[in-house]
Amino acid sequence: MNTPTLSAPRRFIWGRALSIARKEIRHLSRDLFTLSMALGVPVFLVIFFGYVLDYDVKRVKLLVVDQDQTRVSRELADIFASADYFTPLALRPGETPLGSLEEGRAKAVLFIEPGFARDMAKGQSSNAQIVIDGADNQTTSVIASYLAGFKTPPFGGFFQRRVFRPCLRTRFLFNPELNSRWFVVTGLFVVVTGIVSVLLTALTVAREWETGSMELLLSTPVQPMEIIVGKLAPYMGLCLVAVGLIYGAARIGFGIPFNGNHGTFLLACFLFLTCTLAQGLLISVLTRQQQLAMQFSNLTGLLPATLLSGFVFPVESMPVFFRSFTALLPARWFVVACRGIFLKGAGVTDLAVPLGVMAVIGTVLVFLAVKKFKKDLEP
Amino acid sequence: MTSLSIEVTDVYKKLGPNQALAGVTLCLEEGGLYGVIGPDGAGKTTLLRTIMGLFHPDEGRVAFRIENKAASFDQARPLIAYMPQQQSLYPDLSIKEHLEFFRDLYQISDDVYTARRQRLLRLTRLEKFEDRPAGQLSGGMYKKLGLMCALLQTPSALLLDEPTNGVDPISRREFWDLLYELRGEGILILMATAYMDEAERCGEVHLMEAGRIWTYGPPRTILEKEKARDFAELFVRRAEGSQGK
Repeated sequence: MNTPTLSAPRRFIWGRALSIARKEIRHLSRDLFTLSMALGVPVFLVIFFGYVLDYDVKRVKLLVVDQDQTRVSRELADIFASADYFTPLALRPGETPLGSLEEGRAKAVLFIEPGFARDMAKGQSSNAQIVIDGADNQTTSVIASYLAGFKTPPFGGFFQRRVFRPCLRTRFLFNPELNSRWFVVTGLFVVVTGIVSVLLTALTVAREWETGSMELLLSTPVQPMEIIVGKLAPYMGLCLVAVGLIYGAARIGFGIPFNGNHGTFLLACFLFLTCTLAQGLLISVLTRQQQLAMQFSNLTGLLPATLLSGFVFPVESMPVFFRSFTALLPARWFVVACRGIFLKGAGVTDLAVPLGVMAVIGTVLVFLAVKKFKKDLEP
Repeated sequence: MTSLSIEVTDVYKKLGPNQALAGVTLCLEEGGLYGVIGPDGAGKTTLLRTIMGLFHPDEGRVAFRIENKAASFDQARPLIAYMPQQQSLYPDLSIKEHLEFFRDLYQISDDVYTARRQRLLRLTRLEKFEDRPAGQLSGGMYKKLGLMCALLQTPSALLLDEPTNGVDPISRREFWDLLYELRGEGILILMATAYMDEAERCGEVHLMEAGRIWTYGPPRTILEKEKARDFAELFVRRAEGSQGK
């Protein structure tokens, strides 16, 4: 039995890593499909999702049924009408309030019962109720939360002057209007760069195996670490350009505020991209087939980034198992970092945990990709 | 040039269900021009890949000697150039870009590179096509580019896996002229080929079948011993013989 002895020095030589990087850049510069996928798709997705994924419910059709017909009751109805959130409707002849909900003409009904003003003047509890169409539970909960908001200033005056004392005061920091677009677009950074970057590198090593160039590469003195670094670097540059474009779209297109430090943001992007690009390379190194690599990267890139990163579903409300599992996902930490930097102006020290975890995951993934890199053609 | 000799002793290698190598022994001395001849599936590529460290033998060993002293594979590897059988160049990179890529991989200094590149381009007569992408080269030019990439370093041994497969007769002759010139410089050349007529051009041939070398020696000697006109006849006769059994 003889396995070749591996005694000769295996030094990392920058020149060789650089030659791999230069070759990748040459491939990239001629590959319009990949380039447009890397740069165009993220921007398109951010604009698309940014507009479509709007959790804000505005201009809710509110049927106002004022059976009191006093100044006070009209004042209450006007409060709802004056906000952008509701569009008041009047009852049509022959229509019942519940009928309009069933037909879908209204999403909510405000009933002001007779004697509302009188009871209020006496300091008794006065009856007005809101009936909400519960079929769409996303909208329902948003409307319910608006109603809670109506008890607080600037509308709260109405209630304070009169009967109820608001027992709950909620003030939303950083995103006072709870503008969901700010929330969505900062989260989209993660999903979009995550998906695209994993896919980009997932194909590179697998392609070399499929086209046969790996056999030639393996017969040269180039070391796995040099190949990995040489392949990471150009895609890192490309992805950072994509991040820059998304940043532009977020700031200009959606008017997202940026309260943080650009250096911190760049560091967070760098660490996150190291994780995802290395994840792609690891997939590529393990599968050695483009088709398989593509499926794996979709599975491991898309699903965690969308479902488990906290982008759509809050991590806090996940079952314990999944909540602990998300700690292993760079996407989850990048969501925290992105939102922190954009909206809260968080600095490196505030983000020590997310940045630190991403650095560790990135290092482990690069190490694994190098370790699993096959240096022979054994099946 | 650093002298290198390779000794393959009783190597077995199973790939999936196939016994690709079934006890191959081969002694390659410095400066020799060796041919491994055999039909498709005889195990030629597996043999070359095993020497190149791309496959690890199940049994047996591959040993290297540098300047007549035993050396490890890692010490010998930088001295061996290899040209795989399958298309392994990058179709979108031009000849010039390939040469630059391999210059950097082998860490060749600029002056040495300039001189060697000139010489290789002249030898292969590819000067005019430097900017043409590999994907647009003819079969012969493609093979020559592969050879150029392998020869950019100064190897002591050159392993060629069916280098003239799919190449027109004129380009094949040119390719052989190139090999003779290299042999003149003392490079050990081992080439695998399925072209029987190429066997006669080698200094020593090893005839391979079903993972075994069934005979070897200088081409003329083998033909005289087997009483065959040429190697094609020899292989056909052998194939018919085994069918008859």
